[in-house]
Amino acid sequence: MAKHRGSGTAAIEYPTGMNQNGDPSQAWIKVKPDGRVDVFSGTADIGNGAKTIQSQIVAEAIGVPFDWITFDNSNTDSSPVCTGTFASRATFVAGNAVLKAAKQVREKILDVAAKEMEIDAADLEIVDGDVIAKGAPQKKMSVADVAGAATFGHGELITGTGAQLKPYVAIVDAGTGQVDLAPHSAISYAACAAEVEVDDETGEVTVLRLVQCFDVGRAINPTLVEGQIEGGAMMGLGLGVLETCYPYYPDTEHRGRQFGAYLAPGMENMPEIETVLIENPSTDGPYGAKGIGEMANNPQPPAIAAAVHDAIGVWITELPITPERVLRALEKRSAGRDQPTKHGKVVAFDEELSLARVAHPEAPVKLVVE
Amino acid sequence: MKAVGARIPRYDGVAHVTGRTVYVDDVRIQGTLWAKALRSPHHHAGITKLDTRPASELKGVHAVITHEDVPLNVYGHLSALGIPADEPLLAEDAVRYKGQPIALVAADDEETAARAVDAIEIEFEERPALLDVRKAFDPDAPRIHQWGNWYTHFEDEMDRRQIRKGDIDAAFAQADTIVQGVYRPAAIEHAPLETQVCQVVPEANGRLTIYSCTQALYFSMGVVAAHLGVPLNKLKFVGGTTGGGFGGKVDTATETMTSLLVLKSGKPVKWRWTREEEFLCSSTRAPWHMEIADAVTKDGWILGRRMLTLHDSGAYARFSPYGLTKHSFHHTGAYTIPNLAFDGYVVFTNRVPTTAMRGFGVTSVSFAVETHMNRVAEVLGIDPFEARLKNANRIGDTSPNGVVYTDPSTVPTIQAIATAIGHELKSDYRAMTNEPRNGEWLPEHLVAQIANPEEH
Repeated sequence: MAKHRGSGTAAIEYPTGMNQNGDPSQAWIKVKPDGRVDVFSGTADIGNGAKTIQSQIVAEAIGVPFDWITFDNSNTDSSPVCTGTFASRATFVAGNAVLKAAKQVREKILDVAAKEMEIDAADLEIVDGDVIAKGAPQKKMSVADVAGAATFGHGELITGTGAQLKPYVAIVDAGTGQVDLAPHSAISYAACAAEVEVDDETGEVTVLRLVQCFDVGRAINPTLVEGQIEGGAMMGLGLGVLETCYPYYPDTEHRGRQFGAYLAPGMENMPEIETVLIENPSTDGPYGAKGIGEMANNPQPPAIAAAVHDAIGVWITELPITPERVLRALEKRSAGRDQPTKHGKVVAFDEELSLARVAHPEAPVKLVVE
Repeated sequence: MKAVGARIPRYDGVAHVTGRTVYVDDVRIQGTLWAKALRSPHHHAGITKLDTRPASELKGVHAVITHEDVPLNVYGHLSALGIPADEPLLAEDAVRYKGQPIALVAADDEETAARAVDAIEIEFEERPALLDVRKAFDPDAPRIHQWGNWYTHFEDEMDRRQIRKGDIDAAFAQADTIVQGVYRPAAIEHAPLETQVCQVVPEANGRLTIYSCTQALYFSMGVVAAHLGVPLNKLKFVGGTTGGGFGGKVDTATETMTSLLVLKSGKPVKWRWTREEEFLCSSTRAPWHMEIADAVTKDGWILGRRMLTLHDSGAYARFSPYGLTKHSFHHTGAYTIPNLAFDGYVVFTNRVPTTAMRGFGVTSVSFAVETHMNRVAEVLGIDPFEARLKNANRIGDTSPNGVVYTDPSTVPTIQAIATAIGHELKSDYRAMTNEPRNGEWLPEHLVAQIANPEEH
């Protein structure tokens, strides 16, 4: 009886935006008489940081401090359409909508400032809340004063609207699944390495370390995106070794009906987590960003399964890798029944789980290899 | 200061950690009634009697609704995507999963509502249940869904999602080795701290204000409007801050039924699921059954892949056909495999309908593809990093559905993880980039799939 250590790796990709697109997000912005900025977006914040990220994009695009931004996604009377916070789309799709709206606001601020400063708008820029003449920074006017002038002098409301939509991409051939346009907004990439310890007496798998490299395109907010990745790592750990609704699937008995009876990952399961951000910009995300919200829990389960194999020499391909499954796999191994079947050039693992074995011989659906 | 790239604290972080964020359950409306649901105790049964009068007659009960009160009871959430409707808001003549809502009561308090639910007279005729997706196709399997045991409405009314690319038979004939495996990730709970909850208020001008924990205000508003048959200006969704969603709060699980109780009683109503309802009756991540056979060469090239996927949808289609399609688009993972035959089925079982969850459709295939990749490397006796880098998708390669990869970063990402954990790569793998294939990285079998060969 011993504890065995192992490591394993996985590399993944994941699309940003709804599969096949067709998922609009819209936003509008108004500027108060003192230059403070109200953003109206329909994007729910489910903990992914949408309020923060969209506010950062607006602040950057207009050129005003972050704390000038008020973000309102509170209701459908004031906010326009956002398809929703799912499909890793909030930063990319909804982010592009607020970016477009913010660019309009910036143009309108510059138009009013041009009249006030008697300088062509093309020769002006906005830096940190001030409109500045390019190359002559002593000539400046605060955005607060510009907004005041717009309101009380010119009788104008500074607003901007933005809408982002990649139209729906149909499958043009149902037989082959071919499409004629990219069926996503972008694709993100990630890799994960896991280190585990497996107790061959209790069957328990402890995840010791998760190292993760994520290509995020551009980290709008490194702290938040690292938080997404670390939180995702814990969910991936749950998928890998802890969680199931149906402990005896397909049977539905013994479901956990409270937190104390359902093994969601907790602080005691938290391994050492190391996160590496790669910034390979997307072609048309806001500031090059891609969406990584969902994929953050995808690479850990296969990395953990590989690490378990490295530790004790058995492949467990039904998740989660529970102590019971580890012990049963070890039992099979000591009985010499863990090796794949070989026939001809076919090396077949897990045959006992396959449709070919479990389904009725006359059932029409099977994986036919030869 | 630059805003983009800055480590700015969360906009709503202080409010969350000091308990000042107002979630739906924190909204207090005077005179609110409380809702409770009568749910199916069976996996699969016909409803032979349903009498709600004993509940309506109880003191403190203000409204009871069944399917007869719903203007449009069966509405497809994804009908815009060509996925027809199958799921009733409230069960009609049959129930297909334990926990399926049949009737709802609104009463002065939760206890009265619960007593009223118990007073409803209902009788069932139990039917055999189907729970194992692998037995759904058996000739003697019970038929559990109006369309049969699997979804039959993909394009051209196909009963499966199919991907075909290249010449799969030739790839398998040419292979040195064929590696086969089966992968079965589990259903899991979204397990949000905030259970499904909503508060609906009838306004004096005839509108309904719906305090919602939805992840998608406009999507959910569209669902309610469709069931009720009202234009969008009759509804106001208030929300935008979700107490844990992970995909489960795309379901619009409570808003429509609560609105119907409001319309019938004329009073504000709140429906807050118990923790037990959240665990047992809310949707889950789908369990998946995936079989992969890869045709590989002895030096680690993947020539072809056959894959069979069964997506356990639970009792109704909900978002599953969408999820399976997304799954199929990504069944080669981060790699370029030129010859493909993928068949995926959305299979109905008598369990709680499954729904979107973080990584929808792809979490499963990432597990299968990556575990399989590690096994292929083991069978062939090669470094799994090298097997990955060799097959990694590159600029100019084409995806399973013929889309050209313009900015893949599989190669740099794998190189980065190797560096991070101190795994030394051979010099030719260290020098590899995501630029279009050439030289030793452009073997014969990958030439035909390249989009613009003249650029290589």
